[in-house]
Amino acid sequence: MEGLFFNVNYGYVEGVVRGYKSGLLTSNQYVNLTQCDNLEDLKLQLSATDYGNFLAQQSGPLSTSIIQDNLSKKLYQQFQYLKTQSSGKLTKFLDFISYGYMIDNVSLMITGTLHERDRSEILSKCHPLGWFDTLPTLSIATDIESLYSTVLIDTPLAPFFKNCLTVDDLDDLNIEIIRNRLYKNYLEAFVEFVGTEFSNPDDEIMARLLSFEADKRVINIALNSLNNPDLSPEDKLSLFPSYGKLYPTYHGELSQVDDFEQLKAIVENVGEYKDIFSESSDTGAGAKNLEDWFYLLEMQYCKNAFTQQFTLSTVWAWLRSKEQEIRNVTWIAECIAQNQKNRIDNYISVY
Amino acid sequence: MSGAGNREQVFPTRMTLGLMKGKLKGAQQGHSLLKRKSEALTKRFRDITQRIDDAKRKMGRVMQTAAFSLAEVQYATGDNIAYQVQESVQKARFQVKAKQENVSGVYLPTFDSFINEEINDFKMTGLGRGGQQVQKAKLVYTRAVETLVELASLQTAFIILDEVIKVTNRRVNAIEHVIIPRTENTISYINSELDELDREEFYRLKKVQEKKQEAQAAAELEEQEPAKDKAETESQIQKQVEKLDIGVQDESDILQENEDDVIF
Amino acid sequence: MAKRSLLAAIADEDSVTGLLLAGVGQVSNEPGKETNFITVVPGKTTVEQVEDAFENFTAERDDIAILLINQHIADLIRYKVDNYTNAFPAILEIPSKDHPYDPEKDSILKKVRRLFGE
Repeated sequence: MEGLFFNVNYGYVEGVVRGYKSGLLTSNQYVNLTQCDNLEDLKLQLSATDYGNFLAQQSGPLSTSIIQDNLSKKLYQQFQYLKTQSSGKLTKFLDFISYGYMIDNVSLMITGTLHERDRSEILSKCHPLGWFDTLPTLSIATDIESLYSTVLIDTPLAPFFKNCLTVDDLDDLNIEIIRNRLYKNYLEAFVEFVGTEFSNPDDEIMARLLSFEADKRVINIALNSLNNPDLSPEDKLSLFPSYGKLYPTYHGELSQVDDFEQLKAIVENVGEYKDIFSESSDTGAGAKNLEDWFYLLEMQYCKNAFTQQFTLSTVWAWLRSKEQEIRNVTWIAECIAQNQKNRIDNYISVY
Repeated sequence: MSGAGNREQVFPTRMTLGLMKGKLKGAQQGHSLLKRKSEALTKRFRDITQRIDDAKRKMGRVMQTAAFSLAEVQYATGDNIAYQVQESVQKARFQVKAKQENVSGVYLPTFDSFINEEINDFKMTGLGRGGQQVQKAKLVYTRAVETLVELASLQTAFIILDEVIKVTNRRVNAIEHVIIPRTENTISYINSELDELDREEFYRLKKVQEKKQEAQAAAELEEQEPAKDKAETESQIQKQVEKLDIGVQDESDILQENEDDVIF
Repeated sequence: MAKRSLLAAIADEDSVTGLLLAGVGQVSNEPGKETNFITVVPGKTTVEQVEDAFENFTAERDDIAILLINQHIADLIRYKVDNYTNAFPAILEIPSKDHPYDPEKDSILKKVRRLFGE
């Protein structure tokens, strides 16, 4: 029954997304890509995939950044298309997805404003998925005061700013802290949105994906701030999204740890994350590091998300998979361009 | 032999000769010293060029590894890491200290890497994701820049040595091809002039002796002549002898004064 | 000379990022010494700007000990680099990600080869 109603509103979009999903590169195609000797070969191999002749107009020598840009363009087009086809809670859901990118863009603009950079230069660096109409106006504000009280309020991110930051914070806090606080608020709001708007099986899948996202951030922040005296345990705690498998039991402990072994011991208490540190201490070539494990886990979750029907979570899963795919291709291109073939198999492929 | 040739404008006296001989000796000594210096520098120079060549090739590899670690960062953190890094920069953590090394009297500067561990502008970079890679790339790049600094020291030494060797070689060549021949020419000029004087002198003395003998013979003849003429002839001879005496007197004066300067 | 303690860079974005990660960057408010690194964006940064930066780092500033410049950027102002003979600051041509190092073009190595008549 629910499927019937679902299809009335979202059937088309889900179909499109699943179509996109089947266009993701398979492990066979990845193997082909890794066999390439130069970037021209890679271009040829990619033209046989869903990407088609995306590099056709590109004249002159190829570089990894050109390839990456063009791959990303394709992703943005697809996302925009989904957005125009969306309605109801799907639109909201897509909005929420783009808020994540907006946070990056806004923090970029804030840094730019603080350092009085050229506005067009910063705008060109902004992530297209996080674009919103009032973004360019951010740079109009010349000082922090007006930036906060007149401009930020008008952005879609205003609710995330409201409760966590004051004017003074903007001035003397490191931009990374602001970014992570925003992200924490964003994740919490996202979870709330999913909890209220989505029904089974959507909310179940999204809850899994989002709690993973939250845990990933918590572990990363804890790990990356191990030797950083500037961040007090309270500060760290304020950056941890209050969600995920590690919440609330381990957050207090995680904010206190000051060496890698302690962190490992805590994180290993959670079954899913038992493996992530097992080999990451060995940083030799070919060994998987933490980030790779996260990517791998994420991809597995995303793959599982596709097994359910009548769900909007496929959009999220597809977007993440596609991003990973772009990273993979860029990585392979980088390895080819820089002659580091022994590391070329470090990509993550689950499809 | 070398009248108008390449020589210094001096008066050909024995004193100048002594001076010139001293000068020649000094020049030869300086020449051999400079030659040795130049050889020592050149040895060092060749050593350095060899090392530069190696280091430049090594740099290619090191920088490639470093660039690759940056690719890892980009893989882990996504875009815009470059921008974040640029904006977080405040103070130089990596500086160099120049110190000097003495090679055969030439001060060669060498750069020493100097890392101020207290400064870390990137503590927060990649906090949310990829911080590990950022730190790793930081280490790799620090090592790469250390290699670059070493190379820069070599290169500076190369430039300075190049310059110093050129100057030294110019000096060696100047001494060898200008100063020494010139001094030698001057010496032989003085020698020839002095010989000339000697010969003139010898001839003159011989002439004087001849005249003296003539006079003596005439005097002996006179004693046998009648006394009538005697007084007359005597006074004549007296005059002649006096004249010659004066001449002789003059000559010896000249010889003595030759040691000083200005006669001719 | 004692004052010369900084490294400067004229390079593309990736190289600059890497060098900055190593910690060579210094930003100050002193006029003429705002930054000691210039990012060269292909198609956006003009040769004149590169020249100006080169002049600034080599001639005007007195706190730079070593200038790192990407080889492909040095090619843009090759005549300037080739004619530069001062010992301070030392100029070092470095490879970039997309442009592997070519010893044939290096100003210093050219001199080396000339000296040994190769």
